[in-house]
Amino acid sequence: MLLIHCPYCDETLPEAEFAYAGEAHILRPDNPADVSEEEWRDFLFIRTNAKGPHYERWRHIHGCGRFFNAVRNTVTDRFLTTYKAGEPRPELDTLTEDGQ
Amino acid sequence: MTVHVDLLTARELASSRAATVSLLAPVVRFSLRVGADERDALSSALGVPLPTRIGQCSRQGETEILSLGPDEWLVLASESEAAGIIEACAAIYADAPHSLTDISDREVTLLIEGPKAGELMTLGCPRDLDRLPDGEARRTVFDGVSVVLWRDGAERFHIDVWRSFAPHVMSLLTTGCGELALE
Amino acid sequence: MSRFRVAGRGRVRHDRPIQFTFDGQQIEGCAGDTVASALLANGRHLMGRSFKYHRPRGPVTAGTEEPNALIGTRRGKGRFEPNTRATAQDIWNGLETTSQNKYPSLAFDVGALNDGLYMLFSAGFYYKTFMWPRSFWDRVYEPFIRAAAGLGVSPSEPDSDHYASRYLHTDVLVVGGGPAGLATARRAAEAGLDVTLVDENSEMGGTLLSEPQAEIDGKAAWDWLAEEVAALVALGVRIMTRTTAIGYYHQNMVGLCQKLTDHLEAPDPAMPRERLWRVRAGQVALAQGALEKPLVFHGNDRPGVMLAGSAQTYLNRYGVKVGERPVIVTSHDSAWYAAFDLADAGATVQAIVDTRANPRADLVAEAEARNIAVLDGHTATGTKGRLRVKSVRVNPVKGGSIGPGRTLSCDCLLMSGGWTPSLHLFSHTKGTLKWDEETQTFLPDRKAEACQIAGAGRGLWGIEAALNDGAAMGAAAAEALGKAAKTVSFRVQNDRTGSGITHTELPTDRHPSQTKAFVDFQNDVMAKDLRLAVREGMRSIEHVKRYTTNGMATDQGKMSNMNGLNIAADALGKPQPQVGLTTFRPPYTPTTFGAFAGYHKGDHFDVTRRTPIDSWAEENGAVFEPVSLWRRARYFPQSGEDMDTAVSRECRATRKSLGMFDASTLGKIEVVGPDAVEFMNRMYTNPWTKLAPGRTRYGLLLGDDGFIRDDGVIGRLSDDRFHVTTTTGGAARVLNMMEDYLQTEWPELKVWLTSTTEQWATIALNGPNARNLLEPFVEGLDISDEAFPHMSIAECTVAGYPARLFRVSFTGELGFEVNVPARHGRALWETLFEAGQRYDICPYGTETMHVLRAEKGFIIIGQDTDGTVTPFDAGQGWAVGKKKRDFVGMRALQRPDLVAENRKQLVGLLTEDGRTKLEEGAQIVLDPNQPTPMRMVGHVTSSYRSDAMGRPIALALVEGGHNRVGETVHVPMPDGVVRAEITGTAFYDSDNERLKL
Repeated sequence: MLLIHCPYCDETLPEAEFAYAGEAHILRPDNPADVSEEEWRDFLFIRTNAKGPHYERWRHIHGCGRFFNAVRNTVTDRFLTTYKAGEPRPELDTLTEDGQ
Repeated sequence: MTVHVDLLTARELASSRAATVSLLAPVVRFSLRVGADERDALSSALGVPLPTRIGQCSRQGETEILSLGPDEWLVLASESEAAGIIEACAAIYADAPHSLTDISDREVTLLIEGPKAGELMTLGCPRDLDRLPDGEARRTVFDGVSVVLWRDGAERFHIDVWRSFAPHVMSLLTTGCGELALE
Repeated sequence: MSRFRVAGRGRVRHDRPIQFTFDGQQIEGCAGDTVASALLANGRHLMGRSFKYHRPRGPVTAGTEEPNALIGTRRGKGRFEPNTRATAQDIWNGLETTSQNKYPSLAFDVGALNDGLYMLFSAGFYYKTFMWPRSFWDRVYEPFIRAAAGLGVSPSEPDSDHYASRYLHTDVLVVGGGPAGLATARRAAEAGLDVTLVDENSEMGGTLLSEPQAEIDGKAAWDWLAEEVAALVALGVRIMTRTTAIGYYHQNMVGLCQKLTDHLEAPDPAMPRERLWRVRAGQVALAQGALEKPLVFHGNDRPGVMLAGSAQTYLNRYGVKVGERPVIVTSHDSAWYAAFDLADAGATVQAIVDTRANPRADLVAEAEARNIAVLDGHTATGTKGRLRVKSVRVNPVKGGSIGPGRTLSCDCLLMSGGWTPSLHLFSHTKGTLKWDEETQTFLPDRKAEACQIAGAGRGLWGIEAALNDGAAMGAAAAEALGKAAKTVSFRVQNDRTGSGITHTELPTDRHPSQTKAFVDFQNDVMAKDLRLAVREGMRSIEHVKRYTTNGMATDQGKMSNMNGLNIAADALGKPQPQVGLTTFRPPYTPTTFGAFAGYHKGDHFDVTRRTPIDSWAEENGAVFEPVSLWRRARYFPQSGEDMDTAVSRECRATRKSLGMFDASTLGKIEVVGPDAVEFMNRMYTNPWTKLAPGRTRYGLLLGDDGFIRDDGVIGRLSDDRFHVTTTTGGAARVLNMMEDYLQTEWPELKVWLTSTTEQWATIALNGPNARNLLEPFVEGLDISDEAFPHMSIAECTVAGYPARLFRVSFTGELGFEVNVPARHGRALWETLFEAGQRYDICPYGTETMHVLRAEKGFIIIGQDTDGTVTPFDAGQGWAVGKKKRDFVGMRALQRPDLVAENRKQLVGLLTEDGRTKLEEGAQIVLDPNQPTPMRMVGHVTSSYRSDAMGRPIALALVEGGHNRVGETVHVPMPDGVVRAEITGTAFYDSDNERLKL
């Protein structure tokens, strides 16, 4: 069971309180009617499937209820950082595995 | 197989030399949702400050307000205060929009106290509850069930749990009451 | 006293005899014995038969790594366990134990015929021997293999025990209570940290329990141990015996399995048998020691052949001589001490056979002082003795050639091939290992977790080294957690340090094909099997392992992995690190399912959610069905009724007069805020802006992929407040999805969502008399058709309870849904039930609800839809707002494959004979005479006997179904093809006349 830092609660807590919510920074187009088939396909289905650092979303569902973003190394299963929804994507070279 | 569990009658559910578990009488319970800009207006209307740090409680008379999330508070009150709370919030809604929803019946409250109350909580709660200060509360899980858990004192806790999940939580607490007494 | 018990020796209670049975025979042991030590004290080595060849076997170890001495234990009814290690099971008065893998008896076993046929059972024999003829597989080979193979017998009764679990947070978790672990715990505790010390044995001490001769800082080892444990207790260290660290998981979470009652004669029945601890530690200190390696030679598996260190443990810890006339065969100094201890205890040691040409002079001198013959530079080439070793053949080895053999008579043979650091838990963390050329072992290298490794577990040898290392690791752990720790150093007298060399197979003059030199005792894997695997093309150690099953026994390779690796590396002509070690995985030792299940069995298996009205349903004989986590009343049979009859009656009563239904499980979400209507417009397909307060609408929720996710009736209570209902199973998912869009896509919207599913108990009244029943109870609201038409919502009181009243129908009849605060649900139900008697009110369950809705063609999400169905496929295009700018799923509805012709569409099906009820899930074809495999064009999603229609009805998803109405399709079933006509989905009252009451 992982430990996850909730950026809203500012506590590092057991994974059992959280739910995974897929890849992060996939923006729903403001006006979907205007986007091409390819763009809409990419929005719906195309994911990074990273080996290594992965930008992803979690929800502190049995806690404050907030969705937030995280960078997790999919090889080591270590979190590099977590940050609030809407905050910019952190650069990987600023992160270490003890980042949280 | 299954046994009906009465959730209407406040009573002691289990007791041992380790701990006592009780079902408490219903209270008035509102979920209050409001953005940061309107928070102060709600504090004024309710006469109780909305705490800003998640897990903190503020109390005034019989009213208690617990911060559960960045825009979510739990308002607990006595039966006699309920109408006043609804009115006070409605009066400022136009200027300070928010959501006040009655969830009094959504949850029931269990009290866990006794010399091993803290240890009893470790049967189902993965959090390190030694780090939860007296008088604070958190939403967390107990045996996979979402609960709001207050630490009232060193060996006294109470939890709010959704009504249909309560028998499951009560059953584990009852089992644990006996188990801990054997040690 | 038993013949092999040494008076005054060991930690067992010689004054407390214990009686237990083994294969029905009464055996006496002492309190503190294991089954193995008690049997050995009675001169008995034969304890089981091996898995494949059914060879007689005895214990080879004195601990949980035991591969051979697996027994069945019975602790009363419902308390039988197979494959218990006799070396770890404490005895108590009345314990029943049985040997395994034998027929008809342990001493005479017909399965041992396999032993003579060993040529047939070589590596990969499953894949070779039993290939032909094909037809023999089902009738001959598989039954034979199944009957012959397997360990022990499965229990046939439900487990009567119960199991427990806890979470624990501790600063330092120390795994292993030997000298290193004790010293670690002491230093960490003295630094002011919360320390937990666990050991799988019945008491702390580890090696110290087998080495009483040592003196630590001037104190006898056992005195020091007692004082040390007392000091730890005084420091508040949590000490847990019989507790195995079974797995080491992410971020210093360690799983512990604590055995609580298996060692007790009469445990409190309320006591759990085992407890699984989930420990989160700031630092983990691994002090698990090392495991002794067997030597690999012909006949190394006979009863009486045992690891030398284990013999020493039996003597010093249990007061048991494992034989009177031992021979020692060793490549390591440690076995010499076992010989000395046994000689000093009165055994006549026949010889110490050391494979090394020049053993340590001080050891040779000590052997000579005891008149023990020393055969240096010798190998062992075979043993004899059917049920117990009687002799060993040894040969000199000079310059690589084997000299003539001679036979040494013995009653036990004690071997040592050196020691392997126990790195299982370290490996669980994906910490890396490095090969140490000098000791020919893997040692811990790069750590992946916040842990320390101390003592023999990282290749150190001797008690003094372990103590000092442990103290240093305790200090390191403390410093890592920000605490200062003292440094200390220990002085140990009579410490038994030593070294050794490593072998593959011992040199032999036997022909390799005639050599039964076992590597994995339990799985009967021999050295020649490993070499054969390499010859047959296995290159990776992982393939060698799986082909031969070496290391796949319940000891998980604790005995066999290193010998197997050395032999495979030799056969491959590569150094060991290039061949690699197989991965160790949790659990460290076999762990019961009960421990993992914990409290989750019987009534507590999973959450069972019950509505406030559930108790009434139970008292009134309802049959229940699970719907997500809920249990719901499925039907209410009256005496003698089966489901079909009961459902038919419930349907009839509802359509004729009045039915009542507990709809409390419906998900409910309160959507509140100035942007509530905008939010609803964006989430649901329907337009909401023009829905007036007091009105309701059927809402359809899609995913952004355009497929139906959920549906429900949604009421607008005021401009800014909606009461949304969801499906029972979809409640949590829908709220999560709404929160996701609200928090991450549209955070600017001023609207908030609150689950009110459990705030309300919901009673649905359906039937022509619904209003007649309800009207007298309603205050503050006119519920006439004019004032409160179909699809209305209002707040009022019902029978004095505050209520939200919907006029809505999921049956096609005049319907109301009364929501009252949950605590009043049952009271209101009883009030309405009583008053409804004049209308012959009929409580009905989910089955009748399903039939009534199917008669109307109303869909059930997840039954008639499966995540690939669009609103248009389901015939719900009318619910999609045509003028909306955007809603979740709108863009996807334009995707080419979602507007393609011939998509599967929801239709009705009526069987041609008017009698046959189709099977839900049955496949549909257009031409039943086409060759198989037939092209399937759809499947039946819902199928019921309809009382109202007087015939079975069904719903189905069929390719291009909307254009095929009137066509005949075919449903092939095992007993024939059923013909059915495609129809519309509304079978009953398609003009909705019955709602207009």
